[in-house]
Amino acid sequence: MSAIEAIPAAAAAASTQDELYREAIETYGAALERLARAYEADADIRRDLLQDIHVALWRSFAGFDGRCSLRTWIYRVAHNVGASHVLHQRRTRPQALLGLEELENLPDANSGQQAADRSHALDRLLTLIQRLKPLDRHVILSYLEGLDAAAIGEITGLSAGNVATKIHRIKSMLARQFQQGGEDHD
Amino acid sequence: MTELQNPVLKIWQEQPVEGIKMSVDEIHLRAGKFERRIMWRNIREYVASLIAVALFVYFFATTQGALSRITFALFIAGMLWIVIQLHLKGSAKSMPAGLDTLTSLRFYRAELERQREVVSKVWSWYLAPMVPGFVVYTVGYAVSVPRPLAWAGLALMDVLIAALFFWIWKMNMRAARCLQRMIDELNAATE
Repeated sequence: MSAIEAIPAAAAAASTQDELYREAIETYGAALERLARAYEADADIRRDLLQDIHVALWRSFAGFDGRCSLRTWIYRVAHNVGASHVLHQRRTRPQALLGLEELENLPDANSGQQAADRSHALDRLLTLIQRLKPLDRHVILSYLEGLDAAAIGEITGLSAGNVATKIHRIKSMLARQFQQGGEDHD
Repeated sequence: MTELQNPVLKIWQEQPVEGIKMSVDEIHLRAGKFERRIMWRNIREYVASLIAVALFVYFFATTQGALSRITFALFIAGMLWIVIQLHLKGSAKSMPAGLDTLTSLRFYRAELERQREVVSKVWSWYLAPMVPGFVVYTVGYAVSVPRPLAWAGLALMDVLIAALFFWIWKMNMRAARCLQRMIDELNAATE
């Protein structure tokens, strides 16, 4: 390819990269904010994390080949930045991370009045999520975003059976912690 | 109860968000800063090594005597070997974008393990290549200056160099243990 041909090709690729980024933020901007909230409790650090996610997304679109959906790609990139943030933060803020099975067995700290308060319920939900190991955190966040088991499997790389088990645990844990009647969820 | 009616999903999805957005120009600026930082870090590493090689080349070109020339030739070869090894082993591999969670965690662990191997074998690729130069320098100096006082000074210099090598080795062993702790934490966080 000549240099003259290469310039428009490079410009077109850059333009596609910008377009994909705009589309991603337009559609998933709010979901990315919620995701950042699940990875970082401190508001200032969270803002930086969200900017890192945006930059990582934009950079990643240079290599986006459409082999998976845009949604899967966005969640993969964003979760990986989040997981990397959690693992780095553990060096300065060591905290034991739990698996879903351990979280499932936590005593229920709920009361009827607290559950009725949406803001309090959201705080408690965030506290629970922020204690989870990265992989389980990806699963619960994807579940909360309303993704189905197949999409969660595609994002995390877990087998369908593994995803099903984890979703079952999530539903049971959420039902117990938020008193929804766990039997209705399975 | 359907998923859409699930009150926890509703609480999660309907939580207020600030609507933080970055324009494409801001993204370009921030990504550019990141790339420049990486570029300057690489340049600093290579420039420092090349200055050391240039100094040895200067000494090689201006020194008299076969043993001295052999000494500096060995130092140049040792430095070049270290630069090549730094290039081959030292550069951190960036994770390909869009990997699923399991694969990205495996990639991260493999990268930590690779870095641990590099620092734990610092003796073989970073310290040993400089030893022949120091040995020939010591022998050459002892032969050319046959005075006990000069030999005592030479012995002191060799002890200091050995202590420096030992300190570098200890620091790298400490870094290897730190990396191993990170690998253990990663295993604990992902098992």
